[in-house]
Amino acid sequence: MFDYSLISGNMELFKFIYSFIVVFICAVIVLKTHKLFKLSLHQGIRYFRNAFFFFGIAFLFRYVLGSRWISQFIIGSENYFIIIILFEFFLIMAGFSLFYSLVWKRFEKSDKGSLSSLFNFKMLVFYVMSLLIAMLDSLWDTYLFMFLVQIILFLIASIISYRNYKMKGDKHRFLKFYFIAMLLSLTAWILNAILANYLSWNKGILLNVYLINIVVFVLFLYGVVKLTRK
Amino acid sequence: MARKRERLKVIQDILNAIRNNRNIKPTRLLYASNLSPQMFKDYVDELLNKDFVSLETDDKGKKFFILKTRGNDFLEEYRVIENFVENFGL
Repeated sequence: MFDYSLISGNMELFKFIYSFIVVFICAVIVLKTHKLFKLSLHQGIRYFRNAFFFFGIAFLFRYVLGSRWISQFIIGSENYFIIIILFEFFLIMAGFSLFYSLVWKRFEKSDKGSLSSLFNFKMLVFYVMSLLIAMLDSLWDTYLFMFLVQIILFLIASIISYRNYKMKGDKHRFLKFYFIAMLLSLTAWILNAILANYLSWNKGILLNVYLINIVVFVLFLYGVVKLTRK
Repeated sequence: MARKRERLKVIQDILNAIRNNRNIKPTRLLYASNLSPQMFKDYVDELLNKDFVSLETDDKGKKFFILKTRGNDFLEEYRVIENFVENFGL
């Protein structure tokens, strides 16, 4: 049986390696999809790329810059809440962007999009909502609002991706993996919410949540690498 | 009713028409693209701005389009882009 004590005893190191893997995967996905976006200006690719840009930044803040070794030199432990706010902010932005990449066609008449990917009206709405949620969580000293928003977003994303898979899954094989990735993400967010509210961040289950997240990011990396290969 | 052509498909159709018909004139390209004149203008302006195509003038002063390297790259990558968009449901 897997010995969790080995990792839970070195949790800080494990989080550092975990986030390093996630940041690396996000960087590869952003670079590969950025090339496709530049050529096509496709809005779905734009928001998909943005989602992984925000995921990467969130993990960079939380577990690399926010690790105990580095954060004490940068901001000090008394200001650690800033790291948490930024982490939440970017994570919610990532959730919004990934979700919007699936539904943008329903809301945008033209598929030409804005000039800037990070500074336009839609992004401004997402920025304001994400900041509001992150601030509310910070004020109440909880993660509840973020968990709630992410669970709703990934629940709807799971339904949309299931419908996509059912409609076009025979022709486009990755739709199945996309649906699985959405289901796993939803599971991870539900587990996170249970851990925070009822299980006092039980390390054994938390490690499983990390593993689920790694599987999700690897699935996306697999899809991006496979489908951008000529 | 036939589904509206997606933007990427329209661009591919225009670029293919230019590639397959050497020195194609604007009016012929308009017919080949199967777009309204206003939409055609929007797309052509975009393609010119993105340096996918250029509008040249021959010895007799007649205008024609040629495909540029970036436009050719787009056609090469089109299948990759289309496949990516479909597989991720974007």
